[in-house]
Amino acid sequence: MDPVFMGQVLVRLLPPLGLTMLVSLTALAIATPLGLALGALRAELSDKHPASRIIDAWVFFVRGTPILIQIFAIYFLLPKLGLQPPLFVMGVGALVLNSAGYQIEIGRAAVQSVPRGQWEAAAALGFDRHATLREFILPQAARRMVGPVMNELSQLIKASSVLSVITLFELHKAAEAISSANLRFSEVIVVEGFLYFVFIFGISLIASALERRLSAAGALAGAGSFAR
Amino acid sequence: MSFDWAAFFEYLPRLIAAAGVTLQVSLLSLALACLLAPILALAWLLGPAPLRVIVRAFIELIRGLPPLVVIAFCYFALPKLGVVLSGFWCGVLALGVVGAVYAAEIIRSAIESLGKGQFEAALALGFARWRAVLEILLPQALRRILPPLTNEFANLIKASSLLSVISVHEISQVGQSLIFETFVVIEILVQMAVLYLIIIGSVTLLSRRLERGLGA
Repeated sequence: MDPVFMGQVLVRLLPPLGLTMLVSLTALAIATPLGLALGALRAELSDKHPASRIIDAWVFFVRGTPILIQIFAIYFLLPKLGLQPPLFVMGVGALVLNSAGYQIEIGRAAVQSVPRGQWEAAAALGFDRHATLREFILPQAARRMVGPVMNELSQLIKASSVLSVITLFELHKAAEAISSANLRFSEVIVVEGFLYFVFIFGISLIASALERRLSAAGALAGAGSFAR
Repeated sequence: MSFDWAAFFEYLPRLIAAAGVTLQVSLLSLALACLLAPILALAWLLGPAPLRVIVRAFIELIRGLPPLVVIAFCYFALPKLGVVLSGFWCGVLALGVVGAVYAAEIIRSAIESLGKGQFEAALALGFARWRAVLEILLPQALRRILPPLTNEFANLIKASSLLSVISVHEISQVGQSLIFETFVVIEILVQMAVLYLIIIGSVTLLSRRLERGLGA
């Protein structure tokens, strides 16, 4: 272990860390409204509705295949359709495809977890379904989504490392390039791991603090898992 | 874009063989995870203070790393420490450890969710702490552990796709190299996706049935 070398690696890994954060945050910014809205919609529609079938197929595909396959699908299929967007766009696209698929379930669970009595009470007060959803159900559901959505950010940071396979120079790809150029693997991996850990652990601390604050409101706990 | 069935059936046998490797590596790492997870969970719950700190730090560390980094560590850094493993066993080790950490969390929270009363009652009846956990709490917690654990198995299968970067010949690696070899893209992508959907789908189905069957 050579501290001087590790210091140099740390400095060189900061811009790729920025790209990791940028790609994850951009994907979250798109996937969260998309996923949660589709999830709330799915909670409202019957199972037989055509839109339900499309949403269900999306969730089935995303949860039933590794994110690597979803990244390959974007990377290999878009050029077949005559589209050649920059790698960053493909990376964001793959993460959105994946994350929205998981957040659909979050949105749906949050809406369905609001007690039935709330709907009935609003109906008794003369609100129609649409107004009930907007004024009463969604605000309550939103509080329950905060924990899982924060959790989603750390999932996205972890998942973004897989974008290294399509040579997007995010943190993992950059670390791989530095370690094979210098043939010093352990030191680079330790620095890389340190950077990932600081951010992911930091976010999980914030997420659990938020969850505790909102737990009185029946927040759903974010379920962490390690693979997408 | 037309679908070439001849190419589809030409490459299918190779991908099915690769699915065998995916299953092998996932099952072996599941076995390792099931072995390590209870040890980690019990060390966290019952161990002496310094051991608890170490175990917690280890669990938080692994949870804070992308699995790809753990895999790269096992493959590139462990040999420097004198542990040389083939890609396959390296993958089993990396996925087994990552899986164990998440499974340990499941076991710990299931045991803690039973409440202190059970534990105190067992102690009052003269059970030793470890016997109270093993014989009273764990059997009850098992109902809450099994469904999420099968879910973690599905995650292990998904994570096994990452072993393509250390050239384990599982579905993703074989599919990816076939695509670059033959430029047959759609047919091979469909095969990869369908094979994963079949494997992961059946595990998910099992998980749902367990959830209903155990009423957890």
